[in-house]
Amino acid sequence: MTLLFWAIAFFGEAPVQDTVKLEPVEVYAPALDLYAQGQKVIAFEAETLQAYAARSLGDLLQEKSPVFIRQYGAGMLASPSFRGTSAGHTAVFWNGLPINSPSLGQSDLSILPVEAVDGVQLQFGSAGALFGNEAIGGSLHLSSESDFGKGFQAALSQTVGSFGLFNTSFSGGFSSNKSTLQGSQSPQSTLQGFETLGGLSGRFRKSFSAKTRLYRQFANNDFPYQDLSQAGTPEVREDHAQVEQLGLVQDLAWNLSTKDQLKAAVWWQKSDREIQPPMGSNTQDLQSDESIRAVIDYFRFGKQATLNLKSGFVQDRQHFNGSLNQTRQFLLAADYDAEVGEDWRFKAGARATVARGDLSTYTATDQRYEFYQSARWEGLEDLSLSLNLRQYAYSDGFEPFLPSLGADWGFWENGKNSLLLKASIGKGFKLPTLNDRFWQPGGNPDLQPEESLNGEIGLNWRKTGDFSLDQSLTYYRMQVDQWIIWLPMGSVWAPQNIREVKNQGIEYQGNAEWKTGRWDWKMGLAYTYSRALDLTTEPSHPRQLPYTPEHQANGNLEAEFGGFSLNLSSFFVGQRAIGTGNARVMDAYQIWNAGLSFSQLKWGKASFPLRFQVLNLLDRDYQVLYLRAMPGRSYQLNLTIHL
Amino acid sequence: MTNLFKNRLWVLVFLVFAFACSDSGEEKPLGKYDTGVLIMNEGNFGANDGEVYHYDPATETLTADIFELENSRPFAGLLEDMVLEQDRLYLVANTGKVEIVNPGDFKSIGAVSADLDQPRSLATASGKLFISDYGPYNASYATPDSYIAVVSGLDGGAVSKKIEVSNKPEDLFASGKYVFVAGSEESQIEIIDSEKEEVVKTIEVSGRPVQFFEQKGDLWVYSYDSEHIYFQSFHLDNLTKKEFRELPVAKATGRIALGEDLKIYIITSSGWPEYQDGVAVVSLYDSTLIPAWKSGSGFYGIGYDQARQEIYLTNANGFQGNGTVTVFEKGGTEVGDMEVGRGPSGFLFR
Repeated sequence: MTLLFWAIAFFGEAPVQDTVKLEPVEVYAPALDLYAQGQKVIAFEAETLQAYAARSLGDLLQEKSPVFIRQYGAGMLASPSFRGTSAGHTAVFWNGLPINSPSLGQSDLSILPVEAVDGVQLQFGSAGALFGNEAIGGSLHLSSESDFGKGFQAALSQTVGSFGLFNTSFSGGFSSNKSTLQGSQSPQSTLQGFETLGGLSGRFRKSFSAKTRLYRQFANNDFPYQDLSQAGTPEVREDHAQVEQLGLVQDLAWNLSTKDQLKAAVWWQKSDREIQPPMGSNTQDLQSDESIRAVIDYFRFGKQATLNLKSGFVQDRQHFNGSLNQTRQFLLAADYDAEVGEDWRFKAGARATVARGDLSTYTATDQRYEFYQSARWEGLEDLSLSLNLRQYAYSDGFEPFLPSLGADWGFWENGKNSLLLKASIGKGFKLPTLNDRFWQPGGNPDLQPEESLNGEIGLNWRKTGDFSLDQSLTYYRMQVDQWIIWLPMGSVWAPQNIREVKNQGIEYQGNAEWKTGRWDWKMGLAYTYSRALDLTTEPSHPRQLPYTPEHQANGNLEAEFGGFSLNLSSFFVGQRAIGTGNARVMDAYQIWNAGLSFSQLKWGKASFPLRFQVLNLLDRDYQVLYLRAMPGRSYQLNLTIHL
Repeated sequence: MTNLFKNRLWVLVFLVFAFACSDSGEEKPLGKYDTGVLIMNEGNFGANDGEVYHYDPATETLTADIFELENSRPFAGLLEDMVLEQDRLYLVANTGKVEIVNPGDFKSIGAVSADLDQPRSLATASGKLFISDYGPYNASYATPDSYIAVVSGLDGGAVSKKIEVSNKPEDLFASGKYVFVAGSEESQIEIIDSEKEEVVKTIEVSGRPVQFFEQKGDLWVYSYDSEHIYFQSFHLDNLTKKEFRELPVAKATGRIALGEDLKIYIITSSGWPEYQDGVAVVSLYDSTLIPAWKSGSGFYGIGYDQARQEIYLTNANGFQGNGTVTVFEKGGTEVGDMEVGRGPSGFLFR
């Protein structure tokens, strides 16, 4: 299937330069949801990503998705929790390349700036068969998207804001030879029930595309807060949370012939951070994270089939107070995707990964091999079924076959209204990380992989027309077993397969769009109920896992008129305990953000979109994690020059 | 009118009487935390959720987080030690502060909140505070700059001097004008003259000295290594060694409690990877030596209630959440247990 710029597929027009209708992007990428029938997938609008360009993926997910982000302060470690699972239960991909650290088994979303990517998709639930290791609670898919036939393009963007925020970014691109799509383009329903263009065999003429992005994001984070650790709880300024991030993203694509496409992307980033201590501590830790990620894809398009060869490299170097931990991963993958007859579609592939860790206390190498296959059947109108299987082999053994089964059934349609039923069941797993197995002292080479089983059922109601509506309600159940926890054994902490957790929950999402006169309105509401019961600590009286809110919600309202756009949004995070048992419970909080933008400032071909945002509008004093101060009201002003 | 006046007069008389009582000191009514058991919960690294729980064995009432309850702000630190001296309770946080509260009602009196690194314990002498502090970590997580911080008043304030001592000082003990320092890493007892504010004598001992205590009128220091435990007493007049005991208790930790009949209860831990914890019982004055009075895993703190002759043993439950305190009678029979704060590590029996 040809990937289309989802923003266009979903929303039909380009953001900001709204007078230019974007052409479909022909740089190919296999669609995330091709075999993900019955699973919940969210894709963010390009507009939303632009509004968050000066911020991190952690902020985006916390404020705009059902994911809970454990945030250790402003610009500090932000780890995702999908459906009550832990940060290590989230697989993270960039252009199809797994980028979680092999030593930590997770990603810090605070050092994945939204600026660096063009597409963000979230998949919920265990999908080991489809996405492999670590897709237990869900997976996060980041992508670069470049296009052909655009000639020269450039943009310079500057954001200034409270607490010393000063972000600068530049992007420039050239693409030659506007090409046309000639493949089969039958509309297909995706997970969300949206229609998008499908078809396997895009045909390209020889052409070239290059895009370069450079960014620097800086914040002093010297925000005032009430220091609860001191007598009289005086207001003080945070003095150890400065963050600087530098990055370069290079995307390249060549259409070598009408049947071959080569694509490459490189992402370098360095973050230097003063680690914000919790209130009551005076630590002065310094952390520097430097990553290089590179991926090359070759696609060969047949009449009814696509071959993809992928090679990737990820290097992470983390300096913590002068101590260096470094990991490297190499990946080789091949897969073949083919349509067979009218009703069937198959994919089969293999992936090999070599990970090497040179950490402050150990050196270790790990090799992993995966074989996977997927099948989709669309034999009945409005019904599609998929079956995915994956076999994983690693240095310590074979993981049993990981299956998943899903269905999408568009069971009712009446004029503008349609209903889609989705159901799926799947397994997920997570191999013990290099640190889990080899850290000295404490590493436990006898650990078993963590395992999960997830089932969900969802209903999607879509209404088109003047008042368009898209609502979905999902119920899920999940069990995670052999969950690895580091526990103290005397003065040494060591990991053990100890925790067993039963999760279930409800996720609601609704979006509406309508017009009143010359005003365009958009509204979104989301609510998540998440019960994640720890069956280990007190099996007879299981309680909610630490730092896992039962209730979360977010909403936004946007109005557009003559190039002006006004936005008001809010997110709510419910109470959460800071430990197991009858531990301290932290207050719920609700934060409001507001924004105003103007996109019609133009001079010749150049446009100058302006954006002003107020974060934490009501200056709410809150903590996500206990005693980790968070900033109050702040302002951001952004000016971009598009050439 | 007359009646009203009468009533007012009685109120006045009562007030004067009440103030007179409190001024006299001796007859001051007991505060709600002046009896019962104070449970010290260290808290979890990075969370700073150390706190004090209060348990009243008579009514079996447990009150959580009493610092926050009485001061309307969290303790916000890792609680390393509680020291009751000079009618003040000093709460020593190894995250860099000392909170000073009134022991009766736990209301804050003062604090030492600046110029400390990793405070471990405290003693008072000559109207001053002496605070043992590991000092900052260097790049290889060593603490070559350990010190004893001096604060001029008993109610806290600024650190006026840092007296350099051997690495990783732990417990302190004040005797007259002298402050004894348990220099754990370099097996030294350093003695500070609290008036001159300098180390006047250094005494070598065996093992890692961590805890001072008094028995039969003598000052002892307890120390341990992987195979043995050691007890050394001192002549307080000429600051020299007095008596020495060495006992074959392996894998001892620094956590001890003084029990009935001069017995000493000691937590032992094999550590990683076997991880077997236990409680050994020894005596300095007879041949008592029980290597494993209790065994299990996760033992973190121990205390002894002299009034009820009960042993309080804590389990940190892996620091994942709240810890547990199990109470035993001296014969070893379990009397009961309770869920307390995170990382319960010690007790103060009032």
